[in-house]
Amino acid sequence: MYWLPGDQVKLLARRLAESYSVYGPRRDEISGEVVFDRLEVPERLDLQAAIPYNPPKHVLFPHYEEILRYLYERDSQKVAIEKIDKVEPKALVGLRACDLNGILCLDRFFLWQEFVDEVYLEHRQKLFLISNTCVRPFPQCFCVCTDSGPAAREGFDLDLTFAGQGYLVQVGSRKGQKLVEELGLQPAGPEAASLREKIVDESVSSFDSFALENKAWVSRATNRLTTGFIKPEVWEYIGNQCFECGACSFVCPTCSCFNVEEVNRVDGQTDRVRTWDSCSFEGYTKMAGDHNPRKPVEDRRNKRFFCKLSYSQSKKYLRPGCVGCGRCARVCPGDIGLPNVVTYIRREITGE
Amino acid sequence: MPYHRGICNFCGTGCGHLLQVENNRVRGVYPLPGHPLSRGRLCVRGWHIHELLQTEERITRPLIREGDRYRAVSYDEAIDFAARRLKNFSGHEVAFLGSPRASNEENYLFGKFARAVMKSNNLSLSSDAGLEESARILLEGCGWPAMTASLSELRQADFIMVVGGDLTKQNPIIASEIHFASRSGAFLVTISPRRTQMARLSQKHLRPNPGTTWLLLEALARALQTEGLVNGNHLGERVENASQYFEYLESLDLKQASELTGVDEKEIVGLARKFYESESAYAFYPVGIQSLDRRSMSALFNLFLMTGKLVRPAGGLCPVTGISNLLGSLDMGVSPAFLPGYLPTDRGDSWKRFEELWQVRLDRWPGKSVGACLQEDQSLRALLVVDHDEEIIRQASRIKELDFVVYFGAYRNAFAGLASVIFPRLNYVEGDGTYTNSERRVQLSQKKVEPPSEIRPLWEILSELAGALGHPWAYKSAEEVMAEISRTVPQYSGLSYDKLRASLGIKWPVDEQNPGGTEFPLAGEPGRRFKFIFGRTREQLKGLSSGFEDRFPFKLVVGRSNYFWHQNSVMKRTFIPKREYNALLLLYPKGFVEISADDARALGLREKQPVRIVSEAAEISLAVRISPDILPGMLYIPYFIEEMVSGFLHRQVSELEKNEEFFLPVRLEKLE
Amino acid sequence: MENKLVPIITVPEVATVLEIREEIADVRTFYFAFDRQEIEQAFKIRSGQFIMCTVFGAGEFAVSLPFSPENDRKHISVRKVGKVTAALHELQPGDKIGIRGPFGNGFPFEEIKGKNVIYVAGGIGLIPLRSSIVHVLQHRQEFGRLILVYGARTSRDLMYKDSIREWQATRDFETYFTIDRPEPGWDGRVGFVNQLVAGLNLPSENTVAFVCGPPVMFNAVIKELKLKGIKEQEIYSTLERHMKCGIGKCQHCAIGRTLVCVDGPVYTYRQIKTLGEQI
Repeated sequence: MYWLPGDQVKLLARRLAESYSVYGPRRDEISGEVVFDRLEVPERLDLQAAIPYNPPKHVLFPHYEEILRYLYERDSQKVAIEKIDKVEPKALVGLRACDLNGILCLDRFFLWQEFVDEVYLEHRQKLFLISNTCVRPFPQCFCVCTDSGPAAREGFDLDLTFAGQGYLVQVGSRKGQKLVEELGLQPAGPEAASLREKIVDESVSSFDSFALENKAWVSRATNRLTTGFIKPEVWEYIGNQCFECGACSFVCPTCSCFNVEEVNRVDGQTDRVRTWDSCSFEGYTKMAGDHNPRKPVEDRRNKRFFCKLSYSQSKKYLRPGCVGCGRCARVCPGDIGLPNVVTYIRREITGE
Repeated sequence: MPYHRGICNFCGTGCGHLLQVENNRVRGVYPLPGHPLSRGRLCVRGWHIHELLQTEERITRPLIREGDRYRAVSYDEAIDFAARRLKNFSGHEVAFLGSPRASNEENYLFGKFARAVMKSNNLSLSSDAGLEESARILLEGCGWPAMTASLSELRQADFIMVVGGDLTKQNPIIASEIHFASRSGAFLVTISPRRTQMARLSQKHLRPNPGTTWLLLEALARALQTEGLVNGNHLGERVENASQYFEYLESLDLKQASELTGVDEKEIVGLARKFYESESAYAFYPVGIQSLDRRSMSALFNLFLMTGKLVRPAGGLCPVTGISNLLGSLDMGVSPAFLPGYLPTDRGDSWKRFEELWQVRLDRWPGKSVGACLQEDQSLRALLVVDHDEEIIRQASRIKELDFVVYFGAYRNAFAGLASVIFPRLNYVEGDGTYTNSERRVQLSQKKVEPPSEIRPLWEILSELAGALGHPWAYKSAEEVMAEISRTVPQYSGLSYDKLRASLGIKWPVDEQNPGGTEFPLAGEPGRRFKFIFGRTREQLKGLSSGFEDRFPFKLVVGRSNYFWHQNSVMKRTFIPKREYNALLLLYPKGFVEISADDARALGLREKQPVRIVSEAAEISLAVRISPDILPGMLYIPYFIEEMVSGFLHRQVSELEKNEEFFLPVRLEKLE
Repeated sequence: MENKLVPIITVPEVATVLEIREEIADVRTFYFAFDRQEIEQAFKIRSGQFIMCTVFGAGEFAVSLPFSPENDRKHISVRKVGKVTAALHELQPGDKIGIRGPFGNGFPFEEIKGKNVIYVAGGIGLIPLRSSIVHVLQHRQEFGRLILVYGARTSRDLMYKDSIREWQATRDFETYFTIDRPEPGWDGRVGFVNQLVAGLNLPSENTVAFVCGPPVMFNAVIKELKLKGIKEQEIYSTLERHMKCGIGKCQHCAIGRTLVCVDGPVYTYRQIKTLGEQI
């Protein structure tokens, strides 16, 4: 492990900015809230800020992205098709463990299945990832229940842990090792590993009681969701609560459903665009003509929670599809963020 | 792709959002966590506003109609052409349709152009007069035109009443706040014939028969009276007609009201008591896309007045606007009833004030709404319109007969096709502007991208037009227009762009006494006078039966709020909201009529069965949709199929009388 | 695994519409060939697979393949149901389309050699079955009894009338055709497909059945086949779902734990039963 003095974080950011677009948490000056965003000025990187309101998903899987462009001239019957890959290298600095795990889930989904998603691959190949241990969990966090935090275990190039005057730096890749050497970081000494462990333990014990109490309940909910032993009334309540806004999917670090549309440009070209979508929308499964295999809103909700917590989906991601960041609970206009749903299932089991 | 702070431009909630901008395009959106009202939430529309902002289906150059085609022209030519034509009309011959989606600055100048340059007082928003009606009632009753409460405090409420509308669909984030309050312990009651999502999540749902919401609200007042639950401390000296109102209430028989509304008397009394006992009571009613009727709004006001709940620094009446700047447009005087700042047009001193401020002579004749002009006024010859949202245009044939139509719009739509000259308009991220949400929060939306080609701001085009018509205007920016607004509109007197830039919105009145805005304007004002608003019960009760019940046994209610967005030219330019709003249309391509399961069973109707709806004046064929949300005896038709609107409804329903309480007596005949 | 052996087109390849045929009301067949010779030659499919077809300027849609993997003209048969398919119907011979694929698992072929094969189709459900029927007929001697039961609302709603004529004349191919109501000039059966199936003498041992059609017909036919003793895992069908990517990423076609585009579109009835959604 290496040691990064606190005053050298900016140096790190500036160094990265030479070869990458630097993304990281920054505070909005008026609302005071934290956004994970491209940093026009690398110095705005704020590693002490709270968990960002948005996951880094948009960096690899943008909200709106052209994936193909073509021009069809019918008169001459000429077609020109062009694949779009103008992706720039990006460094993601200060990733929370939940968000890094989110990226690993996306990797497993987009890259590890039968087909490789070439658009995602393009983004992913050019990333430099630096995680940051959560030393102070936030009220909505429950990564301890989903085995995805507060500290990262794998998948990073570098991993930081705040320890007083600076950061303990773990190296996770050759790329990371190279940067550490370029920055001339000193080894952190023999105590570093146990110090990091101690910091992580302290962090774990400071989680909100709801997260600590729910630890076992997430796996029981997983069991119930997989086997389908959940009363229809629970789904009905959840369906009534749903505003069908799609926010839970959009803010989820692991949700990857997308929509594809053709956009005809004024110059005659057509862009094939892919945009975020959500399985909770009615039109999502609607087929042309008059048939929707998945109709009632509670069915659609059911689908999403199944995707986040069932065993069969976990096999796909090699971990639960939920990384415990709690964002869905914060953005939900109803009351059906994932932690609440676990609570409803828990109430059903215990009859509270 | 950096995120930039902004304000959602769809409904009258005015949620905060972050727009992701790259290469001068808005490519993503995210909720703004710290926003005091939306607190990091957006609805399905808000989550897809970037899809709309991506569209290239824009009007990008001034266009002049030549026969059936439009010719792209320079601004000089278009302005010269428009000015020369406009010179030919007297003020009475011209009408001005403002846009509830346009900024305060745009609406203010549009109104000023109408009144000060064209000398026309025919100035209004589209013909939904609900907000104006609400403002009139509130002004008459308490001298205050808009929401008397503040939504930032809603989570502390202990009683919330939602009357009519479908708030979850129309203003989802306000509905979300209501649900939050309800989960935190507030008693939530919905009063609406339809079982909306709000109703399903309420502790209580009272379902008055169509057309009797006002009566149910008055019955609540009567119950308060019979139970002795009147807070009379302030009534004596501050309310001018308290005794008359109580006398009026006495003529209302609770039993009869219960029968007519179909709501159990015990429920009425129970709810009245619950309301009376509450510390912080809020009432929400829609005034936007589909409005509550005048009688119900008045009855609601009276309820709050008689229990002393208007003057508390907690709770109050909350008219909810369905479109982003509907309230601001009225603040700016885009109405035949008000000059900017709610100065009534029927008073000479209002006109005098603006003659002095604008340094111009104004014609003081009473103006009409554009809807009324088109419907009744054969002398109307010209029309100027800013961004009309709807695809279905009322009185399209009358508009086609006009000599001259000017359209200022961002997107091509059916309305633009009626214009003689079209000026492109910026969309809300291409220029600066302020927007005022339902709770009087004035928010600055700053320019985030450069407009395509050479689209000029509306203030600039109007200034040039005014100049060409002999009124040189010297505005150099939207900010300068706001500076003038702060001089002319008392409620905005303490506002400036500098102040707004450093805030997430400020609630008017913003003035010397309240430099940071006002949460509960009626609280702590011991001098304010009040008045109950009411008519005569007996006459009102007469309207409850159509007299044709034997021939037309069903009450047909027309719903706009649910499906308005579908035929909205803005939503048509998104992908996912369009897909979602189209979901029902795919199932019922020719439209549908909703009927209760009981009635369907009694009549032997099955899902999607074709039926004919017959009224005194017209008929239409539709498919049956059996709905658990409909009361027996009631039919519900959403307002989104062209044929239904122009071929059926408009033949018998004047837009002016159409509101939530309106129903049409009809019968239903099976086809096949 | 067999998918991997065949090249799959992931970026649309340009193809030319060669000929357009009216099949039934709102359904047209589009014969096409790839513009690039090497693609035209390398493009190999399995019966039951589908492609993603781009109508330039309008969008892309998933469509099952009705032609045989061997010696058959490439074509698709498409019903006009939405914006994109309506745009396809506007095309003329000579116009270009884009094609990705083939995707999906496909019907068993090698695995069912030596068995009796029953095809049951309703309406445009014949489209995905045609490929397998033609393919099996091309290898007639390697299979047992071959039976086709096909029904539509009226005689005008029967797909592939040329193929039907050919099949009727084919030896060792038992074909039965039915329409819902009697019609002048119709000498086939009258009634629903399931009723016709109920009255037939069908094998059950060493037999597979391929069933495609509208949900009501599908469920009724399954019931009859089960009564005849055909096992649930020997009944195959294809599922149609809304799809955007075809490669298991967009998730529009997800049903529970399965993705129709990569795990399907062909499923046995036993699998379909456990999916918990309408077919």
